[in-house]
Amino acid sequence: MLPMQLGPGQFGDNTLYLLLFYLPFLLFLFYGQRIQAFMILGEVSRALGKLKIMRERSRKEVIDYLVNHLKPKSDPQEQVDQLLEYFTIMPVDLDPSGIVKKIEHVVTVRNDRIRSEIRRLAPETDLVKVSTAENILEAASSINYIYKLVRHFYLLGKRTSNIYILVQLQMIMPMILQEADALVNALEAFKLSQPIGDGIGPMVVGRMMLNHEKLDISKDTVMVKTEYKDRSLYLIKAVGPGGNVGEPGNAVERLINEMGVKINSVIMIDAALKLEGEKTGEVAEGVGAAIGGIGVDRFKIEEVATKMNIPLYAVVIKQSLIDAISVMRKEIAEAADKVTKIVYRLIEEKTQPHDNVLIVGVGNTLGVAQ
Amino acid sequence: MATMIPSIGEKRGKQIVYTIEECMSCGEKKKRAFTLGDYVYKKGGQCNKCSGSILITMIYAEPMKATQ
Ligand SMILES: [Zn+2]
Repeated sequence: MLPMQLGPGQFGDNTLYLLLFYLPFLLFLFYGQRIQAFMILGEVSRALGKLKIMRERSRKEVIDYLVNHLKPKSDPQEQVDQLLEYFTIMPVDLDPSGIVKKIEHVVTVRNDRIRSEIRRLAPETDLVKVSTAENILEAASSINYIYKLVRHFYLLGKRTSNIYILVQLQMIMPMILQEADALVNALEAFKLSQPIGDGIGPMVVGRMMLNHEKLDISKDTVMVKTEYKDRSLYLIKAVGPGGNVGEPGNAVERLINEMGVKINSVIMIDAALKLEGEKTGEVAEGVGAAIGGIGVDRFKIEEVATKMNIPLYAVVIKQSLIDAISVMRKEIAEAADKVTKIVYRLIEEKTQPHDNVLIVGVGNTLGVAQ
Repeated sequence: MATMIPSIGEKRGKQIVYTIEECMSCGEKKKRAFTLGDYVYKKGGQCNKCSGSILITMIYAEPMKATQ
């Protein structure tokens, strides 16, 4: 008979060996989940540590920028901390009719408030520097919020020993870290006023605007009227090279409703988030209002286009989230020529001579003039 | 689904930011390192070849590896 390779048999009646052999099984049977929770807790806490470093760094960037560029009279630390915690309460959506107006109102008040706080801090009048400070502050408060939210769920899971909260946190942690990383990258571009990937729309339209007279049409937004093959072109973009997105919705509304210009087609150029696997800088065409953000501008443009029965054409430049908010990549910058060609082709194909064509370059125009 | 989880993108390594200057008359392009104060469509300087005016037409980042 072969001797048994495993099991307690070969140890005879030695209960100690018996116990040692079964102990791990019992341990895992009864405490498996706790052990797992312990390991997940460790992993999440390491990630939280990374987020904390990012948060401290971004806070420091805000203060450094203010001190070095806006030269405040007093130490801005306390006020920066206050601004990082600044919150916005969105309007109630129980009765959604007319909610866009309310959202617009709240967001406008918020933006004005932040801008005035920065102005109060530093009486520097350079608009580019003020808008850069706004951008840096916005990225830093996003990082701050991400950190606080993750910390909340981490502590909640830990205190209640709830493995399910921790598992969920662990699952989305890589994506959260990437997003925070993207925001830290954005800070880098913001403080040097370098164009970001999202600025490709304004870059295309800005080129068409060169050497033409600019008209202020809405807050931080300019318009140029020019000609192309017997058509009148109305070009709209945010005022650069500061980090503005402008108010394209109001600009379009004002041009059509108040100024009474009869527009025959609208072409919108914007950066679009790509799907994993799509190439950065790929150009795609479509229809509809190509504009992101909270939805106020999109609503206004869709509204006026529907009322006047104006076709909306969209040209988008694909990029990932990190590319959209970091310094513009070469592939994206080089797509500008291709987009311009598409826009002119659209004008030739989709409009008639003597038509009025509206072209909107959507996005943050940081580092892109006109 | 796609709108909920966009492509965040790959972590970027060290990048160098370049400024591309173009002569408006002869089309001569020059690539140099970015300096503070540069922005796209900033006018400045004269072309060495034809003394036409120079315009910054692009500012972009390239991974460090590509230049080595
Ligand atoms: Zn030249």
